[in-house]
Amino acid sequence: MAGRSGRNLRRKEADFILLFTAMTLLAIGIVMVFSASYYILRENKDPYYHLRRQVQWAVLGLAGMLFFSNYDYWKLKRWTNLVLLFSFLLLAAVFIPGIGVEILGARRWIGVGSLTFQPSDLAKVAMIMFTAAYLSRRDIQVRKFTEGALPILIILGIFFALIMKQPDLGTGVAMAGSVMLLIFVAGVPMQQLFLVGASAVPLLLYLIYSEPYRLQRLMSFRDPWADPLDTGYQIIQSLYAIGPGGLFGVGLGQGRQKMYYLPEPHSDFIFAVICEELGFIGASTVLIIYFLLFWRGFKIALSAPDAYGSLLAAGIVSMIALQTLINIGVVTGSIPVTGINLPLISSGGSSLLFTMCSLGILLNISKYAK
Amino acid sequence: MSRYKFSKITVKKRLLLLFVCIFLLVTALILRLAWLQLVRGPELQAKAWEQWTRSNPARAQRGDILDRHGRLLAGSASSLSIMARPNQIKEEDKAEVAKKLAPILEMQEERLLELLQKKADSVYLKRQMPEEVAQEIRKLNIRGIHFSPEPKRYYPHGSLASQLLGFVGLDEGLAGLENQYETELKGQDGRIEMQTDGRGHQLPQGIEKFIPPVDGYTLELTIDQNIQFIMEREMERVMLESQPKGIMAIAVDPQTGEVLGIAGKPDFDPNNYADYPQVNWKLTPVTNTFEPGSTFKLVTLAAAIEEGKFNAAEGFYCSGYTKVAGTSIGCWTRGRGGHGAIDFTKVVLGSCNPGFIELQERIGAVTLMNYVKAFGFGQKTGIDIIGEGTGILFSPQQYGPVEAATTSFGQGVSVTPIQQVMAVSAMINGGYLLKPYIVKEIRDSEGTVLTKKEPQVVRRVISSATSEEVKRIMELVVTEGSGINGYIEGYRIGGKTGTAQKVGPNGRYISGEYILSYIGFVPMEDPQIILYIAVDAPQVGPQWGSQVCAPMFRRMMESILNYLNIPPSTTPEEAVPSMVEVPNLIGLPLDDHTNALLENNGLLVRFIGEGPTVLNQTPKAGAKVPLHTQVLVYLGGTDEEEITVPDLSGKTMREVGEVLGWLGLRLNSSGSGVAVQQEPKAYTKVAPNSVISVEFAAPDAEQR
Repeated sequence: MAGRSGRNLRRKEADFILLFTAMTLLAIGIVMVFSASYYILRENKDPYYHLRRQVQWAVLGLAGMLFFSNYDYWKLKRWTNLVLLFSFLLLAAVFIPGIGVEILGARRWIGVGSLTFQPSDLAKVAMIMFTAAYLSRRDIQVRKFTEGALPILIILGIFFALIMKQPDLGTGVAMAGSVMLLIFVAGVPMQQLFLVGASAVPLLLYLIYSEPYRLQRLMSFRDPWADPLDTGYQIIQSLYAIGPGGLFGVGLGQGRQKMYYLPEPHSDFIFAVICEELGFIGASTVLIIYFLLFWRGFKIALSAPDAYGSLLAAGIVSMIALQTLINIGVVTGSIPVTGINLPLISSGGSSLLFTMCSLGILLNISKYAK
Repeated sequence: MSRYKFSKITVKKRLLLLFVCIFLLVTALILRLAWLQLVRGPELQAKAWEQWTRSNPARAQRGDILDRHGRLLAGSASSLSIMARPNQIKEEDKAEVAKKLAPILEMQEERLLELLQKKADSVYLKRQMPEEVAQEIRKLNIRGIHFSPEPKRYYPHGSLASQLLGFVGLDEGLAGLENQYETELKGQDGRIEMQTDGRGHQLPQGIEKFIPPVDGYTLELTIDQNIQFIMEREMERVMLESQPKGIMAIAVDPQTGEVLGIAGKPDFDPNNYADYPQVNWKLTPVTNTFEPGSTFKLVTLAAAIEEGKFNAAEGFYCSGYTKVAGTSIGCWTRGRGGHGAIDFTKVVLGSCNPGFIELQERIGAVTLMNYVKAFGFGQKTGIDIIGEGTGILFSPQQYGPVEAATTSFGQGVSVTPIQQVMAVSAMINGGYLLKPYIVKEIRDSEGTVLTKKEPQVVRRVISSATSEEVKRIMELVVTEGSGINGYIEGYRIGGKTGTAQKVGPNGRYISGEYILSYIGFVPMEDPQIILYIAVDAPQVGPQWGSQVCAPMFRRMMESILNYLNIPPSTTPEEAVPSMVEVPNLIGLPLDDHTNALLENNGLLVRFIGEGPTVLNQTPKAGAKVPLHTQVLVYLGGTDEEEITVPDLSGKTMREVGEVLGWLGLRLNSSGSGVAVQQEPKAYTKVAPNSVISVEFAAPDAEQR
């Protein structure tokens, strides 16, 4: 059946709607990154810096997407352990001076000069590849805790710890969340999931209280005006972009909040710029496009020819969906502030590249849909 | 199949469940967006608008204060206030910013940091700094620091008319005219609103709104800057020479009631008002009340003439005292047996108390009091100055024969200098009591006249004939009476001296402290200026009005006549001898009689040494000397004259030279600028011709 037998399956066209929605979001991203960064970059004599960078990564991402959509997904299985080990090494390398790059007190990047790369972006994909591959193995009992969930949780714990050490709460949460969703999808009994969830509570509490700013941030979304200059600042600025957008928006490029009011207007808070410039109509259209993309992703997962394909697709789509929902939740002040990209739209270098590669894998799986 | 087996059915079910969850979450987020953008949109937009809009005050220019010829007495100079927007400065940078700014702004680092940490949109760090300071800060290029133009008040002539003008604090006039006319001078601040980015830079497409300020109104005063200057110069001089507790002077146009000059000393520099004691801020010639003494006798004289009870040629015998209701009241000549047989002209010229009591008894106590009140005493003159004194007269219950008698020669009543000036103005201008005023005109910044004050007659007190008679007698006081030291050659002048003992807080006289005064007017034919001077308790030299106030009057009036180009009188003047004979003073005590000997001869005196009686004199008795010659009188103990060294600090070299010249001291100067150091120190006693070493320095260096 599954795995190797896939090559006997009939190849179809890749999922057009998935491709189309992804390309649309990518294009919106390029336009919005330019709009959001232009004003701030004016002073740097190179107002096109972020635009150029986004296009470069998008081209690279498209190449990756093309490659993986033509690379039969079951062949990925054999690379799984290698990719996992490689991404573990890269995560560790972040802490080596000279290779790791420290920006604003966080070590999330490796690289030289302007060519930087976030190993945690690769780690997310690696964890999903590993989980999908492991849970689809025929020699394990998925529903048995010691054989199913536990080994994954151990590796996830190590990766999560490394990412939290950077620290990068957003990526950590997105990775852990999508792996947990994948475990859920794979059919691990609910009791086990509740147990894992319950045992994660002390860990979460520790993480929240170990950094004093986290709790403040965590609660400030409830009433950002309680501390408007400090913890509530980002949310307030985001709301000041969303509110004035109204139904139709102030017009593309006409936003004010990107002018040194919004933090990271071209990355984490780019959705606020979309809300301000394109209004409720534009912003909800973007959300609906995302929803279409998720729908196709789930459809691919449901119709994948084997368990591995199904889980791999489910992992990829839940990773993208989780990031999207968290980012927009943060920007709209619905959940606590967590630094996380908006997939495909935020300016985000390696994050964009790996999202595109993942979508390539998804496209490839869609070719073998039953 | 084992129950642990991977189940495709489970996977499908869970995928569908997850998808439904995601569908719900996406729907929730769309609803959230609709809530924020469509429902709360306007509210958030208003708040965001507030954040984008910066409002900077556009300060209205404070109105100028000008003299009667449009010369600037108080104006506004450009200056910048240094402001900060605390939320534009990163929390961790604030200490650094405070450290950088502290030395430039001359402020405590902690205080600056406190200001920078304020949760306000905008705070003042320091107000009204000169452009150079702003430039230095601009160079540092600190984000969140900006500048707001804010005119600073300045007074081009320093302390000139300071008690009248008052001063301005940071936001409002706090004293004097600046305070009184705050509403008129202040104007109305405007506003510049503009939209900025998060760093405070103006947005290219932002809307700009400018609400222009309405500049303050200009006050034009009746004061003549030059007359004011002449008066204050002479006052400063006497402050140094005689070291009195204070001097008050007023010059008024007796035909209109316009105040041409008014000053009290010691005063202050309104540019640095906080460096001076608060008592110096009040306009003493208007606020202070004291017993007037002999100058008040003019009221009794005018009343007696008006009532037909005065005959200049009628004889009168002064035995040195008179009895009023059983109380003996003395004349200042009592010790030598009185004035003897004189006429009523001599009663006035000799300032004879029994003679004035006689006049009062003829008029009647009540009628005299009515005249006192009709001349404006016991009530405010209505001058446009806040805090005017009222003075005290005897109440009807207190007012018996003795009180009426003392009132007739100016004791037991208290009056303000401005009341005396206006009363005498009425006596010499044909009988009209005028309301004095200082603000002649108020104009807006366009030059449109908003208020213009005209002379205002309060009431007519005496007839023109009476007025002429008072004038005639006042001229005699100058030509052959106690006022001769105020005589100016070629001009017909009327005047009257006064010496009043000071009343202490307990209501008793303070022994040895007098207020000396002189009031005079020029020219006799058509009085154009009336000048009043009062010197409070000189500490050095004689405490005689004729020796302190009369020469001061002469010097002031001479300069004023010269400045106003008032030609010498053409009508025949009373004969005043140009040469006088020096009387014999040796063996005389230093009493009023000795004073009278000197003052009636038109001689000035300078005491050398200390003692109760005159041991010797130069020139000798019988010598013929020019009018107003200074007689040196040796008082004993030592032959060495001792001179008190004045406080010279802050004076220019020219001023120091003049002052030391007057005192007979020599100057050894070093440096340039204003005096900062002197040796010997102020108030030490030195021999005549001693050398005083004075160090001068640039005024700025000394003040920092």
